[in-house]
Amino acid sequence: MGSKVALARTRTREGNAAGSREIRDAVYRALDMIDYSPPTPPETVAIKPNLRFYWDYSTGETTDPRVVAAVIDYVRDRWNPAALISVVETDASAMRTRHAFPMLGFDRMAEEKAVSLVNLIGDEMIEREVRVAGRAITVPIPRTLNDVDLFISCPKLKVGPYADGNALHITCTLKNLFGCIGKRRKVVYHRHLDEAIVAVNKQIPPHVHVVDGIVALGTRPVRLGLIIAGTDAIAVDSVAARVMGYNPSRVKQITLAEREGVGTRRRVETVGEDVRQLAREFPKRGQMGFKLTWSLQLSMLRMYTRLTGDALPPALD
Amino acid sequence: MIRIGVVGFGKMGRMHFKAARYVRDATVVAVADGSQRALDAAGRQGVTALYEDYREMLSSPAVDAVVITLPNFMHEEAITDAARAGKHILVEKPLARSSEECAHIAEAVDKWGVTAMVGHNYRFFPSVKRLKQEYDSGAIGDTVLSTLELVSGPLVPSLESRPIPNWYMDSERMGFWLLDLGYHVIDLFRWFFGDARVVHAYLDRHYGFPHEDSAAILLDSSSGTKGTVHVGWFSKQIFPTFDFRIILHGTAGFASTDQYTPANLRVHAALEGTKNFMRRITGRRIHPLSYTFYYPSYVEELQGFVDSVRTGSQPPVTIQDGWETVRIIEEVYGIATLSPALAQSASLGQREPVPQTERT
Repeated sequence: MGSKVALARTRTREGNAAGSREIRDAVYRALDMIDYSPPTPPETVAIKPNLRFYWDYSTGETTDPRVVAAVIDYVRDRWNPAALISVVETDASAMRTRHAFPMLGFDRMAEEKAVSLVNLIGDEMIEREVRVAGRAITVPIPRTLNDVDLFISCPKLKVGPYADGNALHITCTLKNLFGCIGKRRKVVYHRHLDEAIVAVNKQIPPHVHVVDGIVALGTRPVRLGLIIAGTDAIAVDSVAARVMGYNPSRVKQITLAEREGVGTRRRVETVGEDVRQLAREFPKRGQMGFKLTWSLQLSMLRMYTRLTGDALPPALD
Repeated sequence: MIRIGVVGFGKMGRMHFKAARYVRDATVVAVADGSQRALDAAGRQGVTALYEDYREMLSSPAVDAVVITLPNFMHEEAITDAARAGKHILVEKPLARSSEECAHIAEAVDKWGVTAMVGHNYRFFPSVKRLKQEYDSGAIGDTVLSTLELVSGPLVPSLESRPIPNWYMDSERMGFWLLDLGYHVIDLFRWFFGDARVVHAYLDRHYGFPHEDSAAILLDSSSGTKGTVHVGWFSKQIFPTFDFRIILHGTAGFASTDQYTPANLRVHAALEGTKNFMRRITGRRIHPLSYTFYYPSYVEELQGFVDSVRTGSQPPVTIQDGWETVRIIEEVYGIATLSPALAQSASLGQREPVPQTERT
C-alpha cells in the first residue's frame, strides 16, 4: 500500500511573508489531507525542526518556529490535548542549541505553547550497528527518540552544499534526521553522508513529516508559502525533490533509503497543490552550476596559493 | 628584524600570522594560546616556541613585539602585562570594553614607553584609502553628509566547522555589541571628519542575540560633516560578498567606496591571481591576498606597526584613536533609543518570534 503526500500553501506569499495564522491554516490543511491518526493518543511527542547554524527561517536555512507552533496546535487539537511535547535538536559541529533556540525564536515559541526545548546531546544514547548498502554503521541515537510515542520531523525545504562543501544535496526529512545523531562533531560522518542519513532513518523513522517550505532555499531563498505533509519519508522527500526540480531517482539518499526499506516511492498519492507549478517557482540549483561556483573555485584557489605562495584567509582555511 | 609573538591563535590570530609572512623586517617566532588544539595548529605552521600562558612568552627575550588577538575581556590585562614586559603591542580591535579600561591601558603604555597600535584594519582597505585620498584632495568639496554601512558578523559562514566562541555571545565578556562592527565605521567617521558627537541612536534586534543586532546612529563631527551609520550583525552573506560602504555627499560632488570596489569580486580575484602568478614566475614580490580585495589590509596594518617599532615613530592608529572610538560607543549607549523588543526584554536573551509584517 502506498502513502499520501499533501501540499498546502499560504494565501499570502509575495512581498512580506505570510503571518502565523496563514501558516497554521496551511499546516492544518496539509495534515488533514494525509488523514493520519496515531493508533492511540500519543502521551509523548517529539518534534525535530532543522536548526542548522543560527540563520533564521527567512534565509531558507532553518525551520520556521511558527510551523512548529502550528504542528504543536494540531497535535493537541486532533490527537491528544494532554500530550507532553518536546521540540528536540542536537548540537552540531558549528551550532549550539543553547544559542540557536533563543536566537531563532524557539524559546519564545516554547514558552507560548508550553512545550520543552531539549538538546538531545545530553540524552542517553543507543548505539546499534546498522548495515547500509553492505556497510556497517554505528551512530549514537538519543533514547528519547527511540522511546517517544509520536515522532514528527519538521525539516526545511532546501538544497545546498554540505559535507565540507564537497556535495550538493536536497535537504528535507531524510537529511533532517542526520541532525538527531547524538554527537556534536557530525562532520565525521560526512565521508559516508548518505549511508549515515539512511542509518538514522532506519532506526528512528518519524511517524509524520511536516516540511517547512514557507521560505524555501534554492539558488536563493524563495517565498513558496508551502507545507508538505506525509507519513513516509521516501514519499515526502521524493515529492520535495520534484518541487525543487530534481528527479528523485537521481538523489542518492532517496534511492539508498528506499533500497534499505525506509519507505517507498510506489503508489504515492499527491494531493493539494500542483507540484509542476511549484517547481516552476523554485529557483533550482544545478549540480554543474554548484560545482563551478564552489568546488572548482575552491580547488583553483588552493592550487593558486600553492603556485604563488599567496595565503588563504581564515574563512577559507 | 622584529620578532613577533602572537597572543591568541583563533581566527584573528591566524589572520595576523598569515599576514606576517608578507611583512618586511618581521617574523613570527612564538605563539601563545590556552588551547592545545590552537598550539598544535601553530606548530604545524612551523612555530616552535609555543606557550599555554602568554605571560611566559612575555618573559622571553626572543620576542620584541606581540600581536594580541584575545577576546575583548582579556585586552586590558594582556596589554598592560605586555607593556610592563617591555614588548611593543599591536592589539586587535577593539582596544578594550570601556573608557576605564582604555585609560588603564594608556597609562601602562605611557609608563613603560612601548609602541602600541590598535588594529583598525578598515583604514587600510584599498577602497577606503582611495576614498580618503579623494576626500582629502577636496575633489568633492565640503562633505556635508556621509553614510557609513557595515553588515557582517558571526553569521557569515566559514568552511571551518567550529561554533561561534562562547565569549562572543556573552555581553559581559564581549562588552558593548557595537565594539565589534560599529567600532570600525565609527573609527572611520573620526578618521575622515575629526572629533565626533552622537546626535541620535536607535538599537534593535532581529535575532534573539543577548543584545541588539542592528543599530542606526546619527553622528556630528568637528568638521561639520554629519554621518548616518548603519551597523548590522544579522546577515548570512557568503564570501567574497561584503556589505560595507562609505558614501560622501559633498558640495562639489559625491564619492563612495563602491566606486573603488571591484564590481565583480570573482573577476577581480581571477585578474589579481593572474598578476601574482606572473609576478611569481618573473621573480617579483606578489601582492599578498590582493585577490580577496580586503584582506591585504591586515598586511598593511602589520607593516605599519612594524615600521613604527623599527623607527620609533607614531603608529598609524594610536591608543588614543582606540580610546576615543570606545568613548563614542559609550556615548551611543548613553543616549540610544531601544526598540520595543529590546526594551521589553529584561534578559535580552529571547527573541520576539514575530514576523516582520507583524512588527510595529
